[in-house]
Amino acid sequence: MAETLNSSETGGGRKFECAARRFLYIWEGPIRIIHWVNFFCIIILSFTGWYIHDPFITSTQHPYIMGNMRYVHYLTGVVFAVSFLARSYWLLNGEYYASWRMFPNPFDKKDRHTFWTFIRYYTFLSKDAPHILGHNPVAVVAYIGLYALFAFQILSGFALWSQADPGGSLYAATGWLFAIIGNQWVRWFHLLVMFLIGGFFINHLYSVVLFDFKSKSGEVSSIFSGWKPDRRD
Amino acid sequence: MGDFSDLLESHGVTRREFLKYCSALGAALALPLSMTAKIAEAIESDTRPPVIWLEFQDCAGDSESLLRANRPTVGDLVLDHISLDYHETIMAAAGHQAEASQQATVEKYKGKYICIVEGSIPTEAGGVYCTIGGRTAVDILKQVGGNAALIIAVGNCAAYGGLPAAHPNPTGAKGVSEILPGKTIINLPGCPMNVDNLTATVVHYLTFGAAPACDRHLRPLFAYGKRIHDNCERRAHFDAGQYVENWGDYGHRQGWCLYKMGCKGPETFHNCPTLRWNEGLSWPVMAGHGCVGCSEPLFFDAMMPMYRRLPNVPGFGVEASAVKIGTAIVGASAAIFAAHGAVTTARNWKKIGKAKAEAREEISHLNSDSDSEES
Repeated sequence: MAETLNSSETGGGRKFECAARRFLYIWEGPIRIIHWVNFFCIIILSFTGWYIHDPFITSTQHPYIMGNMRYVHYLTGVVFAVSFLARSYWLLNGEYYASWRMFPNPFDKKDRHTFWTFIRYYTFLSKDAPHILGHNPVAVVAYIGLYALFAFQILSGFALWSQADPGGSLYAATGWLFAIIGNQWVRWFHLLVMFLIGGFFINHLYSVVLFDFKSKSGEVSSIFSGWKPDRRD
Repeated sequence: MGDFSDLLESHGVTRREFLKYCSALGAALALPLSMTAKIAEAIESDTRPPVIWLEFQDCAGDSESLLRANRPTVGDLVLDHISLDYHETIMAAAGHQAEASQQATVEKYKGKYICIVEGSIPTEAGGVYCTIGGRTAVDILKQVGGNAALIIAVGNCAAYGGLPAAHPNPTGAKGVSEILPGKTIINLPGCPMNVDNLTATVVHYLTFGAAPACDRHLRPLFAYGKRIHDNCERRAHFDAGQYVENWGDYGHRQGWCLYKMGCKGPETFHNCPTLRWNEGLSWPVMAGHGCVGCSEPLFFDAMMPMYRRLPNVPGFGVEASAVKIGTAIVGASAAIFAAHGAVTTARNWKKIGKAKAEAREEISHLNSDSDSEES
């Protein structure tokens, strides 16, 4: 491998040298675990949530199906909330690529420039975007939005769940939401945000594969292994 | 004391029946049985505060609810015969006489009487949409309600604006708590309110001299502390996954869950399933129709369409639901990325072929290298 990496030094003069000078450990273990926990939670929550919205399987074959669906939905919701809290901890205390320090600084000229370069790239106004380890600044903004959607789903989900026991502590903690938007609209947005996350999912999957092709930087494998090539050339 | 037992007797109500009613009220208020004597004492007392019943933009449905009994019950006696000093629909006095009796009660019992409000209060165009005796509803409410010990807003209209406040709300209809913020107000929403909850609220005030504990929408917890869905007799069918799919289908005839028919029980707080209506005879879901959510602050707009679970969104066409908007978002993003993928592949088709050929060449080089190393 080392030979291949350094083949330009050995004077092979071949076209297909690996552009990576070395590999860097970008995504720490907890970040990858959280990513995949979120992935499976979203799949399960979307399926069971859709069932709760529109019970398309009747009881003929599966007695107590709504009860089970709701149980799985709530249990997965709790796992998702724990995963969200864990990610929040890494946002504050994780290493550079996982933390808030990665956020583009709107007061920094260079950060602004990089941000607009990526905006131009995403809107087909330019063809090339610089390679960035970790998230590019537009992606960071998108993930902040996604994080807010997750926060809303968790809050509204627990609030709707808590309505079964308005005397309980869960209602005391989350019931204030109903003073801002009525419970019918909480339900409505809880359903709509599922679709927004679905839209993000398509975008995310495509962009990851696209950048993997485009910058040959192992985007896809990095979320399994954590390693990315250092190829800021 | 004498007066009250005479009145009971003249209506054919025995002392035993009266005490039974008192313990039933105590149960409705979730009080211990030992409170029955105190409740009876409070009702019999001569110091009962008078009640003024104001009626604004409404259909008199709450008055109907009050009068719905086919024979006068103890509850009617408490509310109607004993304490009601002013009620436009049922009082004997009319015109200036009626207004004079109202003003007399306000003056005599300032800060002590109970004011019950039925109907929403219009605020547009200076409140001209509802005037009584030349005064606007806002004016009357501010004077009569403002001087009351407490206000009980009965029905969804008085509590939150109800039907008159539905989009586009041409009269600027509002609930009592929006006109008199800070006043002690108890909301008994419903379309109409259940008279047993009204009696219980009044008796709670008579017994303890204070309003019952309320939720964030000022509804008493004894009546609005639990969701209809959680006390529903059809709840087992919900959890089991047995739903009415069409009116009159097998499930409907079997009394299955009305969730898919747009029942608003899962978002409505009321004691209909336990208290029921018309002297405990029945209630909507028991009769085979879904709950319409009439005791919630967002009734009417957010509880419509009546036979769909979630509201539609204005500004997205006539009937745009969360599912339609969401499907459009997901569909659009899928289409955009599919198009981008297809165009990118097509544009780079030659490049991809060239890269493949070069890669093959490179691999054969590598293979020959390793061959030479081996040898």
